[in-house]
Amino acid sequence: MTALVPTLGRRLAPHALPLAMFAIVVAFAISEPAFLKPDNLIGIVRQVAITGIMAVGMTFVIMTGGIDLSVGPVLALSGVIAWFSLDAGAPLLVGIAAGLSVGLVVGVLNGLIIARIELPPIIVTLAMLSMVRGAALIIGGPDLHQIRGQEAYAAIGSGNFLGLPISVHLFALVTLLMIFVQKATPLGLLVAAIGENERAARLSGHRTRLTKTALYAICGVGAAIAGIVQSSQVHTASATYGEFGTELDVIASVVLGGTSLMGGNGSIARTILGVMFLGIMNNGMNILNVPIDIQLIAKGAIIALSLALSEAKG
Amino acid sequence: MTARSATFALLAFFAATFAFFCVAAPRFATASNMENLMSGFSFVAILAIGQSFPILLRGIDLSVGAIVALAGMIVFDLELIFHLPGPVILVAALAAATLAGALNGWMVVRLKLQPFIATLATLAAYRGLVYSISGRQLVPGLSTTPIRNPWITGLETYFDLGTTLGLSDWVTLPWFPLGFFVMLAVLAAFHFLLGSTRFGRSLYTVGGNPEAARLAGIDTGRVTLAAYAMSGFCAGLAALLLVARLTTATEALGTGMEMSAIAAAVIGGVSLAGGIGSVIGPVIGAFLLGTILIGLTLLGISQYVQQILTGAILLAAVGYDRILVVRRRRRLEANLAEETRA
Repeated sequence: MTALVPTLGRRLAPHALPLAMFAIVVAFAISEPAFLKPDNLIGIVRQVAITGIMAVGMTFVIMTGGIDLSVGPVLALSGVIAWFSLDAGAPLLVGIAAGLSVGLVVGVLNGLIIARIELPPIIVTLAMLSMVRGAALIIGGPDLHQIRGQEAYAAIGSGNFLGLPISVHLFALVTLLMIFVQKATPLGLLVAAIGENERAARLSGHRTRLTKTALYAICGVGAAIAGIVQSSQVHTASATYGEFGTELDVIASVVLGGTSLMGGNGSIARTILGVMFLGIMNNGMNILNVPIDIQLIAKGAIIALSLALSEAKG
Repeated sequence: MTARSATFALLAFFAATFAFFCVAAPRFATASNMENLMSGFSFVAILAIGQSFPILLRGIDLSVGAIVALAGMIVFDLELIFHLPGPVILVAALAAATLAGALNGWMVVRLKLQPFIATLATLAAYRGLVYSISGRQLVPGLSTTPIRNPWITGLETYFDLGTTLGLSDWVTLPWFPLGFFVMLAVLAAFHFLLGSTRFGRSLYTVGGNPEAARLAGIDTGRVTLAAYAMSGFCAGLAALLLVARLTTATEALGTGMEMSAIAAAVIGGVSLAGGIGSVIGPVIGAFLLGTILIGLTLLGISQYVQQILTGAILLAAVGYDRILVVRRRRRLEANLAEETRA
């Protein structure tokens, strides 16, 4: 076992995820041909759009060795705030901006505490998870709030444009934007530098603290966008959305994409691969009527296995 | 500030908080409320004791809530479906929980997974396992049957120590739940283990500096495995107390409890930087958390505000830990500077 795993792992690791994805697609397609129908494939992308947008936002944070556990409640609070603004008669853009500002504020707070006071990201964002959830429940209460008479807002989550759901367009847009940031802007380089060696980056004169704060802000805004997509998709806002486990799916997607929790390696494009992998798994197991307990076990096993493989590479 | 004086500072803070609620919150300083506090937070204290071991090794165990559910469901199944004798059920549940913890440790040691990810994966997997072995779904009609085995429900016994000691003529003392004494026993055992055995010293060494520990000939893998197994064992024990209290187990048992456990451990002065902390601190931390939550409830403050305050307390605790770490480092640097000058 000990001798086998490294050699096998070293050879397979870089391609493990695409290979596994291919194998799963083939398996699902054989056992249920409906899986390959264009409608189902578009449906998968639509289903993963919410998690996907959050995962894209969190990739940079994880690349710097950080983590953000507070995305679930941020998703909820952003939807609730957008609902309140729209309900009070605010124009569409103001409502959306109000929702997004929730993510910005929480993200900046996370970032300041983590970058300035240097507290551990796990605990800071765990505390923030509790605090934002409490705030969302105080503002919105435990009830569902129906979003009525807001066609334009509802279109974000359920409308179509050029034959594809608007949420899919949004997902693609966010992804392309972040790939651009990673490949073609100084911020992208700086993220990699901090992930490789934060001290070296700081000593060579980079503003690492400001950068890290910005990354948590981006992550928060990503969660807020997801919150708006979700609330418009189901026509309701609730303080209980983004329940415990949401953040785990997001983190799993990023990590499955090959971003190391120790920081350093990682890319937005590969995160998309991780997102799609989990999406295909969930969709395929649902189509095949795999019970929820086996789905949970399989998910845990796959995350552990694929990470053990990529660990063997290093 | 040494670890011991930090514990005293925490104890003083606990006493102050306790005194505050005794004065400010109606019905806080009553015997029945003390019973609530003891039976409602003894299992949190046990989880916090367990959680300190991974944290002492710079790790974390996110799966304790799921292990609680797993052990609880095993009790449920063995009692209501298989009708096994009480002692067998207790041992089986504890063994399963310890094994689940050991598997976490194995993944950290052998697969070299980060504790955060390993226990995140098992958080999902163990919860899935709970659903698949759930007697509530396998056997219809069982979900409303309470557990009546005296070996299990007996854990929810209360002792009238006041009358036994002849003090009840003077004051109304709360009846002490058995769970509280179980917690004290765990505390004593693990305190001894950490402070007075070779294993305890190894644990601190590995947590403080894994590389140095390895070079000193300590089997770091075995220590790590044991630490996670102990966290699992404590989760199993907490599950027994919970099931005894509820006389049933559900699939959702223990959801989110890792948060309270981690919070109590960190509040109790177990440093996330590893190698520093005790098991007494986490117990005080758990009861501090309990005092604040129950006190606020009695003051009529909404549960939602309490969530915000729990987060704030957690932040304050890590902030305080950070101040201690920085101060320690400065003192070390100052000492080094002096030595070089001399």
